[in-house]
Amino acid sequence: MKTILLLEDLPEIRAWLVTLVMQVFPDGQISEAARVHDALELVSAIKFDLALIDLGLPDGSGVAVVEKLRETQSECQSVVVTIHDDDEHLFPALQAGAFGYILKEQPRELITEQLQRMAQGEPPLSPSIARRVIAYFAAQSKPQQPDLMPHVSLTERESEVLLRVAKGFTLPEIGVQLGLSRHTIADYVKQIYRKLNVSSRAEAALEAQRLGLFRR
Amino acid sequence: MARNRPLYGWHGLVLAATFWWVLTALPARAQSFGEALIADDSGLGRFPTEAAQQVVSLPDDWSRTRPLQQIPRWYRLHFDVAGLGNKPGLLGLYIERACANVEVQLNGQSLLAVGRMSDPIALDCQRPLLVPLPTALLREGGNAIDLRLAGYSLEQVASRQRAGGLSAPQVGPFESLHARHARADLLAVTLPLAASALLVLTGLSALVMARSRRRDSHLRYFAALAIGWALVTARLWWHELPLPIFDSELLLASLPALVALSAVQFLLHYAGWRSRPIEVALYAQCVLVPTSLLIAGPLRMHMMATSWYGLLVLQVLAAMAFYLWSTRRARRRDFWTMVLLLGVAAAMVILELAAQQRLLPSPWQQLPYILLPLAFVAMGLRLVQQYGRALLSAEDSRLALEARIREASAEMEKNYAQMAELRVEQVTQQERKRIAADLHDDLGAKLLTIVHTSESERISTLAREALEEMRLSVRGLTGKPVMLIDALGDWRAEVVGRLSQTGVEGEWSAPSEELPQTLSARAYVQTTRILREAVNNIIKHSGASRCTIRCLIDSGDFQLAIQDNGKGIPLELDGRLDRGHGMASMKHRAKQLHGQCLVESGPGYGTVIRLTIPLERHTTQS
Repeated sequence: MKTILLLEDLPEIRAWLVTLVMQVFPDGQISEAARVHDALELVSAIKFDLALIDLGLPDGSGVAVVEKLRETQSECQSVVVTIHDDDEHLFPALQAGAFGYILKEQPRELITEQLQRMAQGEPPLSPSIARRVIAYFAAQSKPQQPDLMPHVSLTERESEVLLRVAKGFTLPEIGVQLGLSRHTIADYVKQIYRKLNVSSRAEAALEAQRLGLFRR
Repeated sequence: MARNRPLYGWHGLVLAATFWWVLTALPARAQSFGEALIADDSGLGRFPTEAAQQVVSLPDDWSRTRPLQQIPRWYRLHFDVAGLGNKPGLLGLYIERACANVEVQLNGQSLLAVGRMSDPIALDCQRPLLVPLPTALLREGGNAIDLRLAGYSLEQVASRQRAGGLSAPQVGPFESLHARHARADLLAVTLPLAASALLVLTGLSALVMARSRRRDSHLRYFAALAIGWALVTARLWWHELPLPIFDSELLLASLPALVALSAVQFLLHYAGWRSRPIEVALYAQCVLVPTSLLIAGPLRMHMMATSWYGLLVLQVLAAMAFYLWSTRRARRRDFWTMVLLLGVAAAMVILELAAQQRLLPSPWQQLPYILLPLAFVAMGLRLVQQYGRALLSAEDSRLALEARIREASAEMEKNYAQMAELRVEQVTQQERKRIAADLHDDLGAKLLTIVHTSESERISTLAREALEEMRLSVRGLTGKPVMLIDALGDWRAEVVGRLSQTGVEGEWSAPSEELPQTLSARAYVQTTRILREAVNNIIKHSGASRCTIRCLIDSGDFQLAIQDNGKGIPLELDGRLDRGHGMASMKHRAKQLHGQCLVESGPGYGTVIRLTIPLERHTTQS
């Protein structure tokens, strides 16, 4: 049995998502929330396995819930469900610890499949997100504050996977190209998401520290 | 400047020729008197024959023969008409210098009596006299010419030119004496007068220039110098001053101090050097000169005045030397012209100073009164030239300044326009973001609800399309250009992903090297939708098992060919391709991008969709 958090402010969409989630996880136990505040309360009360989180909510951004989940329930998979298809909206959520994303307007079959994949540990990674991640780590690797920054870098293989994703190859195709199993590739992607989160947190901490120094 | 020097050379030549003509004395058939009978005036109005008579040699310089005397003196000259040859015609008496005033009698008959003979005596020392001797008054045998000369002793006057004395008179044919007189008169009176007039004019024009250019203080001093010198020389032709001799001489002897002040200050200022102590000293000197003369009294006038003159000349010469020294260092371009002018002026001043010590022969004595004003006039012309040049350069710099101001204001306007543009751009950007957010949150949410809640597949599809349409608008509002290589990655991921999900074998070929081209947000979105529509058709309608997509860049065009091995698009009754397959909207979108979309299809032969988009039109659009 899976415990699932569903954060979505539009009732119709929420209802639709519920039916969809029920279809993928028939034995799932779904907790619904329409606001960030409610979702945070649920997170502190219940331990979730999966969280579907909308970003644009009446009382704030779903990114806060993603962060809270990563901090308190590291086992929980946060998935962003959004109407924004551009990486500018998605990337902050991924940095905060989201494990994937689903575009809301996609047909039911597609979303179903993506949910199943994620449940099996295969998070989606679009070329535009991959490019963004590459750019992010390229900027990180520049020697700006080597002492202060806990350095997180991608392995050669992870970079290779990212580059191929950016060129439009699907994960199975990359697996074939690199002679790796589908699961290994999926692991790389998960690892990339994790590193993105860790590096982002380190950066945020550093930023906070710097602001603290200034304040003092 | 160098161009002008030959011109001055010409002037010099002309001047030299003129003076050669003036200085060469004419030969005259005349009898010159080497001596005369003299007697002091006893108020009878005729030669005092009863008084003790003495003989004096002529010319008679009172300062030597009768110092400190100022009683008028009679001179008697005897001559015989027969001694002048046959039939001499009208005879004349020529006296080159009779200072200060003279009366002429022939055989007891008065021939000339002009001007006061008592203090203040009319000072007519410069003017040569020519008196016709009426034939009717002449006697056979001997004739007597009586001259009554009134004048001042040298001690009383400030200048030797005004000290009493008589040159050797001559009697001869009037005609030949007339020519000689005319020339002497020109040299002694007319030329100095003309030069003075010219000098006043020059001074006045310098004054006018000085008024309009207060910064050029040397112009002011030059004006004072020119006018001052004109006043000094005015005594040559201004015979009768209504003042006692002491007063008029005092005035006249004080003038050179002012002239020296002007000259020194002019030279210093012209050289660009100012000194307050020197200025004060010069002004003090102007007061000191008349004071000292006043204290010294009438009988030491000449001695004091001459001493002062020497001192003043030294000052002026020093100023000239200083000027030349400082401008030589500063390498002023008109240096040699100034050397010439100052050289002439210095020579003339020294000549004039020498004339005070000893009476010089007449032409040399007049030279300073002619050449010095001319040097001043030349100097004035130089100043006018410089003034004009300064005016021109001022005009030039004014024009340059105006141009600079125009440029600056144009620059400011441009900057302002740019800032305004930037501001508009910022506001527009903010507004676009707000609209984009609103569209997503409100319209997007509602459309999404329709997509997922509608019972009808058709309405659901329409809503999804509307959502995409909205997103296109939002992208158009905020979208940045997309790198073509990134777009190809996005398209490949979508197409290959969807085909593989639906079990259609997909083959994608595209250039994999670095592509510098970009697509506008609009072109990217439109192409994405054409491609998506085409893949939709293949998945939903064609029944194809295989799909090939080829992308290539050919001479500035982006080409996309989507080929399947399905059953093709069925023809409608009118022979056109099925509208339900979205061909029309694909073509319409291609047209919007100034490209084209060709569809080749036949039942049983599959379908090829060829999309061509000109890249250059979309590479720069944002």
